[in-house]
Amino acid sequence: MNAKYKYTKVGIPRAISYYNNYPFYFGFFQSLGIEVVLSDKTTTKTINAGCKQVVSDTCLPIKVYAGHIINLLEKGCKAIFVPSIQSTGYKINNCSKIRGLPEIIRNVISADFVMIEPTLDKTEKIGLKDFCIETANLLGITDKKAVKTAMKAGWKMYNNFYEMAKSGIPYQTALTNALEGKSVKKPVDIVKPLSIVIVGHGYNLFDERISLNLINKLEKLDVKVYTSLDVYPKEAQKSIKALGEVQYWANEVELTGVAAYYLLKNKIDGIIALSAFGCGPDSLMVDEIAYHCKEKDVPIMHLTIDEHTGEAGFITRIEAFVDMLVRKKRMIIGKNIKMPVKHPAEVIKIEKDKVCVGKAV
Amino acid sequence: MENKVPVKDRIIAWPRMGRIDIPLKALVQSLGAKVVIPPANSNEALELGVRHSIEGICLPYKLNLANYIMALEKGANTLMMFQAPGSCRLGNYTKMAQKTLKQLGYEFDMVIFDMYKSKMKQTLQAFWHVTRCWNPWCYYKGFSLGFNKFFAIDTAERLLFYTRPRELNKGDAEKCYNKWLEITDETNSVWAAKKLKKRIQEDFKKIPIDKNKKVPVVYLIGEFFVLLDPYTNQNIEKELGEMGVEVQRQIMFGDWLEHVLKPSFLYTKESHRERSVRYAQKYMKRAIGGECIETVGDTVYAAEHGVDGIIHISPFSCMPEIVAQNILPKVSKEENIPILSLVLDEQTGKAGYITRIEAFIDLIKRRQRNQM
Repeated sequence: MNAKYKYTKVGIPRAISYYNNYPFYFGFFQSLGIEVVLSDKTTTKTINAGCKQVVSDTCLPIKVYAGHIINLLEKGCKAIFVPSIQSTGYKINNCSKIRGLPEIIRNVISADFVMIEPTLDKTEKIGLKDFCIETANLLGITDKKAVKTAMKAGWKMYNNFYEMAKSGIPYQTALTNALEGKSVKKPVDIVKPLSIVIVGHGYNLFDERISLNLINKLEKLDVKVYTSLDVYPKEAQKSIKALGEVQYWANEVELTGVAAYYLLKNKIDGIIALSAFGCGPDSLMVDEIAYHCKEKDVPIMHLTIDEHTGEAGFITRIEAFVDMLVRKKRMIIGKNIKMPVKHPAEVIKIEKDKVCVGKAV
Repeated sequence: MENKVPVKDRIIAWPRMGRIDIPLKALVQSLGAKVVIPPANSNEALELGVRHSIEGICLPYKLNLANYIMALEKGANTLMMFQAPGSCRLGNYTKMAQKTLKQLGYEFDMVIFDMYKSKMKQTLQAFWHVTRCWNPWCYYKGFSLGFNKFFAIDTAERLLFYTRPRELNKGDAEKCYNKWLEITDETNSVWAAKKLKKRIQEDFKKIPIDKNKKVPVVYLIGEFFVLLDPYTNQNIEKELGEMGVEVQRQIMFGDWLEHVLKPSFLYTKESHRERSVRYAQKYMKRAIGGECIETVGDTVYAAEHGVDGIIHISPFSCMPEIVAQNILPKVSKEENIPILSLVLDEQTGKAGYITRIEAFIDLIKRRQRNQM
């Protein structure tokens, strides 16, 4: 069966849409009988390799993406999957750089390889089905039935992953288990004194090099961390509306949506916004979130990352933020507990009375 | 659309972009509405805009916001804004501006031209909403005046670009251009507006020029606002003209407006965007929002039509233009044309900017000499 295909191996860079959609991609390609080659985890070397390819104004995630493409080429991949996700709903667009990923990669990297570049554009009514069919066509598969089965397999894997992640299992564990087809139960929840929600794009937050392992760092400080994986996209969209905003960016679900969900539920102590330097959509969304945080009196910290981010300064800021939250919480608790304290003057008066009574007796 | 201000009391304002105020003023006034024109973009305006907007937003927004504030101070109560097709941060401008201005305590109506689909209908609706004018003659007069003034300004600008590097007495072309801007502004009848174009052409012919002078041609491409607003691009056209370079601009107001407003069945020739898509095919397969595909397409177009060099200008952190910047080096190599990318923000110093342009022009001239 495989001999029919143009390519039996497809490389997927471990960046951008990998972090949100990889279980779907994996299930889809596996069902079609195509081997998936993943690039290695992001390292400083990957970033440097990417920086050499693109112009300096480009944001960090795109530089990392280019680095991963280089890594895949070094691994000997001939076909690389570079999707262009234009919009995820009517007039809900992605950032230009994500929309134009194949255009950037085509013009920036001068090596001999084929790009599998399907388009997803719901504004122009190109849905997920067309996206999958296009992918298959580019790989030389014309059997529509096989594509349909593959889509189902992809969804199954994705849903399994998503359910696990939503129940509170860390991203990496959920992903590895989902890819093996296993389903793991949620561990016992330990109640932690503080809870913080991190808002940020999946490709920044779950990449351990880009986010400098932010989630683990916070968990070490005894903080319960919520991310976009803990909220259903539909609930996030509802929350955006409930907060009186209109969704404009495709990624807005991950940022404003998640922040709005927890702000409305009123169950978090603080918000950390993680964004790459020069990110266009984030500059607007973080401002929006900050505006509503001010209204609801929730502290927010905006962390900006680029390829030069020093880890020491990063840790200091996180620790300071957590310390501040702890102090704030202690203060609130102190205010709320009412001890039966009597005024000193009253105590003296009572004692005097007692003495008087004693004398009279 | 909001409707707080009664129609009679409406005083309309819109953000500035080059000389867009002249035709738009004619249009809105002939529909019977009052107009306030905010002062031209300047350092003070930019400072005001920067003070009230967030750090990461792009330069055009900061200027637009300043224009709004200045117009509101002057007594405007209805603000207009375009949301042209293409989806970068431009689509968020009105939303943010509304919020910021309300926080600052202003009261106003915002009228948005959402240009995604059915553009002409949207435009007419918006104008009707603002003016409640029923008279079709007024609409005819307004649009005719507006369009003719746009074309007149375009003609004057094209001739200015051609004449400036060739003129014998320095400053003649500039004077003539400014004179015609004033006349265009004062013209108030459709008949006179239709004649403007011819009169401008005749007047520019009178300027003494050196016809045999070899002049390098530079094509300006990039983000539209920056291209069309002389304050934002630090008057790059004038600087280039005075260095003895003929400038051709990627887009003129007229082309831009035609693409934005005209219904598609009225197109007789290939529109600017269609041409760009055709030329960009080799490098880009899909439009990605903003003016990226126009930038790339026009670069290829210019390279094939005897242009000596290309200057690409964009505001800092403009997403579509960053993609274009990534693509341009390859285009430059394959089409064999020199390209200079300039990024502008509120911190740009003019001296460094001029040095880079001068070096680029020297490079073009040397290249020409070598080819000869």
